[in-house]
Amino acid sequence: MPDHKYFLDLSDLQFKKVKLPWKSKLVRFSLWFLGSVAVTVIYSVLFNSAFGSPEERVLNQEIENLKLKYSLVGREIDYSVKLIDNIELSDENRYRPVLDMDTIPQTFRSMGFGGVNRYEELEGYENSEMMINFRKKVEDLRNRTTVQYESFKEIDEVKDEWKREMEHLPLISPVNVIYRLGDGMKFREKHPVFGTPRWHHGQDISTPYGTEVFATGSGKIIEAGWNGGFGNCIVIDHGYGYRSTYGHLSNIRVTRGMNVKRGDKLGLTGSSGTSSGPHLHYQIDLYGQHKNPLYFFNNDLTEDEYFEMIQTLSAQTKFK
Amino acid sequence: MPKTKYKFNPDSLSFDKIRLGARDVLLRTLAYIVGSVIIAVIYSFILALFIDSPKEKALKREIAQLTLQYELINREMGDLEKVLGHLQETDDNLYRTIFGAEPIPATLRQGGVGGVNRYTELEGYSNSKIVVGTTKRLDVIRKKLYIQSKSFDDLITLALEKEDMLRSIPAILPISTKDLTRIASGYGLRIHPVYKITKFHTGMDFTAPMGTEIYASGDGTISGVFSNRRGMGNYIIIDHGFGYTSTYAHLDSFAARNGQKVSRGDVIGYVGNTGLSVAPHLHYEIKLNDTNVDPVNYFFNDLTAAEYEMMIEVASKTGQSFD
Repeated sequence: MPDHKYFLDLSDLQFKKVKLPWKSKLVRFSLWFLGSVAVTVIYSVLFNSAFGSPEERVLNQEIENLKLKYSLVGREIDYSVKLIDNIELSDENRYRPVLDMDTIPQTFRSMGFGGVNRYEELEGYENSEMMINFRKKVEDLRNRTTVQYESFKEIDEVKDEWKREMEHLPLISPVNVIYRLGDGMKFREKHPVFGTPRWHHGQDISTPYGTEVFATGSGKIIEAGWNGGFGNCIVIDHGYGYRSTYGHLSNIRVTRGMNVKRGDKLGLTGSSGTSSGPHLHYQIDLYGQHKNPLYFFNNDLTEDEYFEMIQTLSAQTKFK
Repeated sequence: MPKTKYKFNPDSLSFDKIRLGARDVLLRTLAYIVGSVIIAVIYSFILALFIDSPKEKALKREIAQLTLQYELINREMGDLEKVLGHLQETDDNLYRTIFGAEPIPATLRQGGVGGVNRYTELEGYSNSKIVVGTTKRLDVIRKKLYIQSKSFDDLITLALEKEDMLRSIPAILPISTKDLTRIASGYGLRIHPVYKITKFHTGMDFTAPMGTEIYASGDGTISGVFSNRRGMGNYIIIDHGFGYTSTYAHLDSFAARNGQKVSRGDVIGYVGNTGLSVAPHLHYEIKLNDTNVDPVNYFFNDLTAAEYEMMIEVASKTGQSFD
């Protein structure tokens, strides 16, 4: 089929070849081009609305991958949150009550940042909420961790002090628990030697002559020798204002200035000084005020347990 | 220009009008559509090489921000995990020094169930979710069963008794505690904090700040309010009847009088450090017919199975007591 097309020229009734001037050709081509672009646009819009562009799909896939990564790190965060939860509980419920420390209010531990919007740069995204959520969680975790770190530093110091104090206070019986308690802290109408009314500031424990006497708490010997009415006498300064006195001894095994720990042997009981028979005078002073020694130890041990305790205590290294 | 076009027919040597049949129209339309699609595809490819669509731009921006944030969070978590590990160690050390016992493993402290991910090996398969879910549920059920069977005998006897007996027998924790970190020392042989030897600990110790409310663990009558400077310090004894008494020791102050009738949950006193005690705590004892029994068996009212299991674990630790 020949390519040529003809048209009927009505002015001279002749068939003429259709010839287009270059101008018309240009116009036609432009129209065709514009048309094709328009068609492309229409097609793209239709296609994308139905399937999304291939690149978009790739990008969306990437976002899905990122979300997965987020959920993985989210699990790490959740685990860490549980960890810090536990540590905080431990702190609040165990250490602080035992050490008689004030608790840290929850509001302080988990400090919120009100006022300014700190997450402005994260807004306007499809996943803004997720990102802000993660940031908040991590920041909260960081705050709690910081507070906890400081708290533990404080507790650690107090704990050392608590242990030290516990080792130093005079908290055991100075002699074997089986011996009968004599006069306690009271006003005696009749002193056994002088026969006159007099205050008795300690606890007497009747023992056979030569019974071992042990330090009731760690401390420093500030007196070891003859002391008038107390006869051969030992005084231990335990610190924290406490002093313990052991009177009427027959034998002294320590010297002044020595550091002793709980359970160390101090000497033997006797009847030196103003005494009517072998016994131990045990006295506790707090900042110079006499305290009832009975408030400082329990008679809840058997003889065997007492010596087991002395052995265990003397085997221990001294708490500095 | 006229619309009608003619074609020269060399056979008949005449000019014929160009007429298009339905087939031709269809073919042409098809050709147009195919052609335009091809053109459209070519255009899109060329365009996509140089220009992003607004949506793509948004997505790319989103990806950039997500990646940045992810990296920040990841790095931060790396640091935090190190610090947390350190804190965990400090926690364990503090526990060792203060309670003189090995700390409870973190897995158990998280409640036993639902704590760490114990089901990792089941993940990564197409049916992971179902398998993990089922395994988890099985685990929970198994634990519950274990606890259940343990307390079943008790329950049977209890069920047979009267209602007031159920109300009277100690059955709750004497201090409010949602978690069980407050148990410091259980019943049995424990290291004495001062004597440093193992002594039989006749009750359970609970740590709590000074002044924390103490509750009667069952209905009964206060049979003794003692103010003492020695031993158990200030303490209260409740006679629950049926041979049961409970003792609450080292109180700071009392909230009940001798002879007063109390119901389970009534405040009877406040935690303190009186008597021979090295730290503020509550010493809680239960006696059945004048014989000490392990209080851990008398908390069945307000603990879940997991909590109860953990409580048993915590209470069985041979740590040190506080008096």
